[in-house]
Order: sequence, then structure tokens, then C-alpha cells
Amino acid sequence: MDDKYKFIEFLGLRFNVANDLSVLVSAVLVFILVFALSRKVTMRPGKAQNVLEWMIDFTNGIVKSAMPDGSGKQFNLYAFVLFLFIFVSNQLGLFFQLKVGGFTYVKSPTSNPLITMGLATISLLISHYYAVKKFGFGGYLSNYARPVKFLLPINLLEEFTNFLTLSLRLYGNIFAGEVLLALIGTVAKSLGAVTFVAAMPLAMVWQGFSVFIGAIQAYVFTTLSMVYISRKLEQE
Amino acid sequence: MAGLLVLGANQVALGDMLFILVSFIVLALLVKHFAWGPVTKMMDARSEKITGDLDYADQERTRAEKLAKEREDALKNSRAEAVEIVNKAKESGETQKKSIVSDAHSEAEELRQRAKSDAAKAREDAMSGAQNDIANLSLEIASKVISKELNADDQKSLIDSYIKELTVNETK
Repeated sequence: MDDKYKFIEFLGLRFNVANDLSVLVSAVLVFILVFALSRKVTMRPGKAQNVLEWMIDFTNGIVKSAMPDGSGKQFNLYAFVLFLFIFVSNQLGLFFQLKVGGFTYVKSPTSNPLITMGLATISLLISHYYAVKKFGFGGYLSNYARPVKFLLPINLLEEFTNFLTLSLRLYGNIFAGEVLLALIGTVAKSLGAVTFVAAMPLAMVWQGFSVFIGAIQAYVFTTLSMVYISRKLEQE
Repeated sequence: MAGLLVLGANQVALGDMLFILVSFIVLALLVKHFAWGPVTKMMDARSEKITGDLDYADQERTRAEKLAKEREDALKNSRAEAVEIVNKAKESGETQKKSIVSDAHSEAEELRQRAKSDAAKAREDAMSGAQNDIANLSLEIASKVISKELNADDQKSLIDSYIKELTVNETK
């Protein structure tokens, strides 16, 4: 809500310490999780390997539902990392918020629009890159005038709306979750013991719901990324 | 917070986008190297192995089915053969029995015939011997009784006629 952030100027760019630290923590958590689950890779999988293979199968399923002809195999890794990263990022702020001296240092990185826009940028860059690779630069440009020429402005506009909806949907969900959690926190502190007891179950319920929302939004973001990529890779 | 939404505001930290871009790519590379690569390789190897095993199992099953069928056929054949052998043995036993019995019959018949003819011959011999003996005896007796009243030839013919009558009567 009224959080204060520390900023660093570096090479003429401003860095929000809270965002960058949170991104780093999420990335490290994802890496530790995946690294721990993949230590003993054998033909007959153990428990850890089973969990990891289940997650891989899940994200492979997302890619396959967007590109059923098997052309999406090269995006399997991307979908896997994207899903895990967003999922962990969404949950991070629910369990772990670090504030020192009034400045926030760790929260959900996805509750900041710039981070979700960064993620959406990666997805859309991939889609444009593979479209150019597949059709050539001329073919890629001519795809904007398909299926009929007068749709060109709409197709161009769609690129921006895709970017905005993809990033702001994730940001809005997670940010709203954190805002409500903070509001419940303020309620708890407002009138001492009475409101504290009353707010406790509310906070628990909302936290559980936020876990659910975080998982759903990770799934939605990954699915839509794959859909945008597949749309760029086919000619109408 | 509203300032974060307005691009160009003093509070916006565009460096964050660069930061997440770099950190995401690094994360993806690390995950690929440490987990994704080995695990997907193993998954592919496993699916290949399963396919191979299934193919092998199919092959083995058809082979086993073929073998079982062959064995069954052989068993059926051997059963038919056994039945045939038993039948043949029975048949040959039957014919042998028949031939033995008929041989025995014919032998016995021959024996009987021979015995019958032997007996008839012996009787005839005995009869003719007795005829001569009786004739001579009665001739002697008669000659002794009436000594030279009749010569021997007349007497003999007389007696022979008697005896003939006798035999005729006897055969009657």
C-alpha cells in the first residue's frame, strides 16, 4: 500500500531494490527446488524425480494444448521455467515479506507492473523472434495484413493489447491480493485484541485463496504466452 | 503507488525490466543445465525403452502362441496316431484269431475224416479176413463131418453162397 522503496541509480537506469531482490529470491528458490528434485536421475524415478517429471509433464501439456502438432517442443523449457518462476513469485509475498526501517525489501515481485511487463516482454519477444525465424522478415511483416488488408491497424493494436493484458492481469491479481492482505492487517491492528482475533481467520482464508489465485495466474500466464507464440507461428 | 503506473514518472525504475530479463534468462539456463536436460533426456530414454519393451513383448507373445499351436497340433496328431495303431492292432488280432480258429477247424475235420476212413478200412479188412477164415473153417468142419461126400470146390461155392446171403442179410 504505502510501502516505501529504496532506489539505486546505475548506468542511468533506476533499480527498485525491493523488486530486484524479490526477483532474485524467487529465482534462487526456483533453482533450489528444481536442483533438489533432480539430484538422482534414474530410469526408475524416485519420489523427487517423480514430482519433477509431473511438473514437466504439466507444463508440456500447456505447450501441447496451444501447439498440438508437436512444433512447440522447443518452448517446453521456457514454459516450465516461466510457470515455476511466476508460481513461486506469486506465493513469495504471502509467506515472506521483509521490511527494514520502513523500506520494503522482499515481497511478491509479480505485484509490481514493471516485473510482469518484463515477463510479458520476454514472451512476446520470443513470439516475434520465432515468427521472423519461420517466415522471414518479409513474411513476418505481411502476417500483419492477414487474413485481409484492412485488419492491419487492428493487428498492430493487438500487439499492444496482448502485452498490456498479459502483464496487467498478473499484476492486478497479485497486487490486489497483497492489498487486501495489508488491509486485513490494518483491521487487525486497529482495535487491539478484539479485531486481532476477528481478523485472524479472515487473513487465513484470504491467504489460502491467494495461494489458489497465484497458481491459477501462473497457469494463465503460461497458457496465454504459449497461445500468443502459436498465433504468431501460423498463417491465417 | 499510482506513480508506478505512469511511465515517465520520477519513481519508475525501468532497470527492473532489464533485471528480470537477465535473471530470468540466467535462471532458465541454470535450470536447463542442472535439471531440465538430464530429466527430459531420461524421460525420453524411458519412453523409448517402454516402446521397445512393448514391441518385444508383442513379438514374444506371437512366438509363444505359435509354439503352443504347434504343440497342440502335434498332440492332436499323436492322439489320432495312437487311435489308429490300436485299431490296427485290434484288426490284426481279429484276423489272426479267425485264421487260427478256422485252421483248427479244418485240422480237426481232417483228423476226423482220416479216423473215419481208417476205421472203415479196418472193418473191411477184418470183414474180408473173417469171411475167408469162416469159409475155410466151415469147409474144414464140413469136410471133416461129411468127409468126401462132396468135393472141396462144390462145398466152397455152396458155403460162399450162404455167406453172401448172410452178408446181404446183414447189410439189410
